[in-house]
Amino acid sequence: MKKVNLFFSLLFMGLLFVGCSSDDNGGNNPGTENPTGEEPQPEEMEKYVVTATPLATEGVADYILTTDDLSSGSISTEGNGIEQDGTYRYYVTNNDKFFSLLYGQGNPGAVTTYGLNSEGELELLSDFQAETVQAFEAVDDDILMMKISRSSDAPFAYWYRLDTNSLQIAAEGQINTQELADNENGEIAFFSWITQIDDKVYLPYFLVKGCCDDRFGTEFPDEAHVAVYSYPEMEYVETISDDRTSFIGRYFVNGLTADENGDAYAFSSAVATNAGEFNSTLPSAITRIPNGSSSFDSFYFNLEQASGGYVIDSHIYAGNGKFVGIMQNKAEMTSAYGGGKEFAIIDVYNETFEWVSGLPDPSTITTLTYRNNYVSEDGKTVYVGITTETGSFVYNIDVDGAAATQGLEVEGGVITALHSLKASAE
Amino acid sequence: MSLSFRFFILPIFLLIVSYASMAQNATLSGTVFDDNQVPVFGASVVLSKTGKGVMTDEAGAYSFQNLSAGTYKIQVSFIGYRTEVSQTEIRTNQANILNFSLKESTYNLNEVTVTGKSIVQQVKDKAFNVGVIDAKNLHHTSLDLAHALDRTSGIRVRESGGVGSQLDISLNGFRGNQVRFFIDGIPMENFGSAFQLNNIPVGLAERMEVYKGVVPISLGSDALGGAINIITNSYAKNHLDFSYSYGSFNTHRTIVNAIYVSPKSGFTVQANAFQNYSDNNYKMHVDVADINTGEYFRDQTVERFHDNYHNETVIAQLGVVNKPYADRLLIGATLGKNYREIQTGARVTGVFGAWHRKGNIIMPSLKYSKKNLFTKGLDVRLNANYNLGSEQNIDTLNRRYNWFGQFREYPNEGGERSYSLYKYKNNTGIATANFEYNSKDRHKFALSNTLNTFDRKGDDQLNPDNNQYDQPRKNLKNILGFGYTLEQEKYNVSIFAKNYFQQNKFTRRIDDENYGPGYEYVDFINTFSSLGYGSAASYFINDNLQIKASYEKSYRLPESNELFGDVINLQGNIDLKPEHSNNYNLGSSLWVRLNEYNQFNLNASGFYRDAKDFIRPRLNNNQVMLVMDNLGSVTSLGVEGEIRYQHKNSLNIGANVTYQDLRNNTKYEAGQTTESVVYRDRIPNMPYFYGNADATYTLALGPKNRRLSIGYNLLYVHAFYLYWPSRGSDKLDIPEQISHDLTLTYFFNDNLQFTLEARNIADQDLYDNFSLQKPGRSFTGKIRYKVF
Repeated sequence: MKKVNLFFSLLFMGLLFVGCSSDDNGGNNPGTENPTGEEPQPEEMEKYVVTATPLATEGVADYILTTDDLSSGSISTEGNGIEQDGTYRYYVTNNDKFFSLLYGQGNPGAVTTYGLNSEGELELLSDFQAETVQAFEAVDDDILMMKISRSSDAPFAYWYRLDTNSLQIAAEGQINTQELADNENGEIAFFSWITQIDDKVYLPYFLVKGCCDDRFGTEFPDEAHVAVYSYPEMEYVETISDDRTSFIGRYFVNGLTADENGDAYAFSSAVATNAGEFNSTLPSAITRIPNGSSSFDSFYFNLEQASGGYVIDSHIYAGNGKFVGIMQNKAEMTSAYGGGKEFAIIDVYNETFEWVSGLPDPSTITTLTYRNNYVSEDGKTVYVGITTETGSFVYNIDVDGAAATQGLEVEGGVITALHSLKASAE
Repeated sequence: MSLSFRFFILPIFLLIVSYASMAQNATLSGTVFDDNQVPVFGASVVLSKTGKGVMTDEAGAYSFQNLSAGTYKIQVSFIGYRTEVSQTEIRTNQANILNFSLKESTYNLNEVTVTGKSIVQQVKDKAFNVGVIDAKNLHHTSLDLAHALDRTSGIRVRESGGVGSQLDISLNGFRGNQVRFFIDGIPMENFGSAFQLNNIPVGLAERMEVYKGVVPISLGSDALGGAINIITNSYAKNHLDFSYSYGSFNTHRTIVNAIYVSPKSGFTVQANAFQNYSDNNYKMHVDVADINTGEYFRDQTVERFHDNYHNETVIAQLGVVNKPYADRLLIGATLGKNYREIQTGARVTGVFGAWHRKGNIIMPSLKYSKKNLFTKGLDVRLNANYNLGSEQNIDTLNRRYNWFGQFREYPNEGGERSYSLYKYKNNTGIATANFEYNSKDRHKFALSNTLNTFDRKGDDQLNPDNNQYDQPRKNLKNILGFGYTLEQEKYNVSIFAKNYFQQNKFTRRIDDENYGPGYEYVDFINTFSSLGYGSAASYFINDNLQIKASYEKSYRLPESNELFGDVINLQGNIDLKPEHSNNYNLGSSLWVRLNEYNQFNLNASGFYRDAKDFIRPRLNNNQVMLVMDNLGSVTSLGVEGEIRYQHKNSLNIGANVTYQDLRNNTKYEAGQTTESVVYRDRIPNMPYFYGNADATYTLALGPKNRRLSIGYNLLYVHAFYLYWPSRGSDKLDIPEQISHDLTLTYFFNDNLQFTLEARNIADQDLYDNFSLQKPGRSFTGKIRYKVF
């Protein structure tokens, strides 16, 4: 139980169960272990946390709502919900705490933290100030956050280790991203996201020029790199590289997830650009770093081939080698920053790819939750928030059947995150 | 200036009627001047024995014919001036000439207006809903123009902080640049940061005209919600006065007005100089984050530590007055500079400790005006100015500050907001031309044109290659208006039409998605041209009750700063479209004179507007800067009321209150087929219920007209929500605000005054835009001395 060996997609992880659970999805979080050693109360309160932003041109804030059911019914932001100061918010859960981060582009912002009380209500635990970061993830009992430079003049990525017990920054440091990239033309490394595997964090990165009116362009579009650091010391261990795919993950998007065995599956969208042109010659594909290995193995799953010309936008790990992939038609792609609206079940054990049925026509979808989706305990259902021109719903994707049904309606808002939170054991 | 005095004219009171009429062949004539030797139009001149009374014409002249010889008492009175009584002997067969020079009354203009019945006969000149603030009554205070306006019905001033901070004035629910500002009829926009309403002392102004809703053609602008015209002192004789004040937060303000006029040649030199300095180190109640751990220390009281502001400005003009070819022909320049430290971003969580700005204003100007040019009744006014001043943004320390003033410094180059030494010139120019023709049969035609130009050029020595600063940022705006007014005894009707034209030239990166690559810049030109029109009318039901109504289809063009940013906390939005609206106003005024000593004045008005592409400030997505945006459709229904009571000349009490119901009228958001959840919701982050109350009591104290005046002002703003009111249950709001101000003024004599002022006595937390805090309790002492 102490062993945190399983890391799913980023939002998935914080909301897992207190030590009593023995489901094979694992993800048990040591931080939630009852310090007294007593078993937690069986009737412990749990709520789904749904965040929504009203559809309006201005004056919008995110509202945090709670519900007991994602598969039916409706909730509304009308006269309901905790107002979050500011629109650009990101969420992460860990240690029975729900963190709401303001993205303040270069300026520090307040992070608000909520817990669930025994009445099932959200309770403000604390605010603290944090830098605007481009990657954040629950790691052990911490939230590891990274503020990553996009300028080759100042090639530093700052990391901050937020202790979720004291709710303070416990440690921080910096990584020279130019030295890490070690390229003759001075391109720097930009971490796409953070993935914990055992006592290390894996940081896939892409190369960017960080200058010259093409900050996010690169002349090295056909390489994948993952920098590995020890945790919590954040000491550099090694870089694992591969030349069968373009980089892993994308700006603000996780591309690396370990299954129950600790084997890490790496998703490449193949969306590198140079001077505004896509320049990767390799297809969107999945590769693998076996547990504890210093290199990729021979596993290679060509997603473009399997999907008929689609690239992976982002993914959600359900369990047992099955991922929900959000796919984007490569022919219609205009920017390197996502926008996929079609869902598929990708099974990396059997190397199968199946489109999910029962979802709204992609042309009617205005927004969906690319991150912050929720996976049921048994890994059989993945919940995603989809807003179409007629409203917002939580869709319940049956992973085995590759079929979705319309669930909870969220009135008066675009769904921005789906989480689950348990009343704190304290 | 005489225009508005027409407004306040006194009735003729026939005081004493006496007997006797003898050989009637004598005449008496003369001219009435004010104490600036400006002819007074509309003064009443009453000849006591005969009971005859006349009014002075536009040249201040009066005359009586067919008088008998003898000794007469002549009484001359005019609103705002002391009544003069003179005795003279009139002889037959000669031209008896008697000139008068009226002295300004120390009473307030408003007080006197309510006493007069026939005020109405002059007020009817204006079909517009106009209020006048007599700035002279406030010259003893340390107020700036913005805060003087803040005490007026329907007006709310919102600022980001103390002296020199950014300013936003709302008038009947319209705000920002929906309301236009003028100095002597010249648009104030683009004057640069050294010359804004909240850093101009009230002493520079003689009066302020506040137009609510429809604005006369003569102010030819695209004002949508109204306009405020600051009339500066235009003495036509030698004058010198100065004032100095010192107060809390190390605030110093000085103002000097000096005027020389050669009586013979009409040559004149005028100089206004003023200075503001403040540390603005008032207390803030904030949560302070530990600079290392991020932990918040709750509810700390800290001083602002990086908010020094100062500006120094001289307005110098020379030219001639009262010449056959010009009533006024002045060339001059406004020269000034300012320095401003920037303490916060758009929200208090963003705190800075070194970032600052410098700016200057170098603005040559030309003013010309002539009444009865070429032909009687044709008045011409021409103005032009060009601002050569520059502004610089200085942000070169890569630091992170907290509210304790602690900072961390990072090793590499960088800034607090963004590494910058950007220096730029806006190259703004304005030219206005006004022609007005008054026919004898009370038809009035007005033609006006206002041209604005803007061409921002700048560079940043830290980023010399950064070509985003080198792109064309140009803006040309022209507003041409024509109006016709019919003035009748009981009513007055005006119709007008305006053409709005704007052309913006700019460059855009085509691939500019989320820092997307690509350095292809493409030039764009946006052109807008549209016709607006409207009508205004007023009617006297009886001598004491007037109603006014107006309608306008109006456009409000985006400002240069709104399009291109102000390089501080306002982000540019080149896609901003003109806002257009239909505005309806209905108002009434009632004058009640209970008896000689007790008078009331009541005003009530209502307005309705529906605006499309409503231009509103919002926080940009990451809460760091404000950005102006078109926000679909908004309706505004409001009422305001004002009541004023006067007892003799010693007590004056008034209160005003404004309620406005601003509702989101956007039924469907883009891409949605279901009704918006915030359709008909109240527009957030906007005060909607507020008011003022004030009382002034003056008592004689000691000999020689020495007086003490005690003034009290109350400001009330109802709480309002930061975000949409209908959403959420646990909400952020800006709490109710109440502020009490007290002013004590001792008039030692007509030339010397001392003032003590306490603002926000209860030391309440006052907030403004997006909950930025304003100063708490403050004290100021002021001395004002008029040399001659």
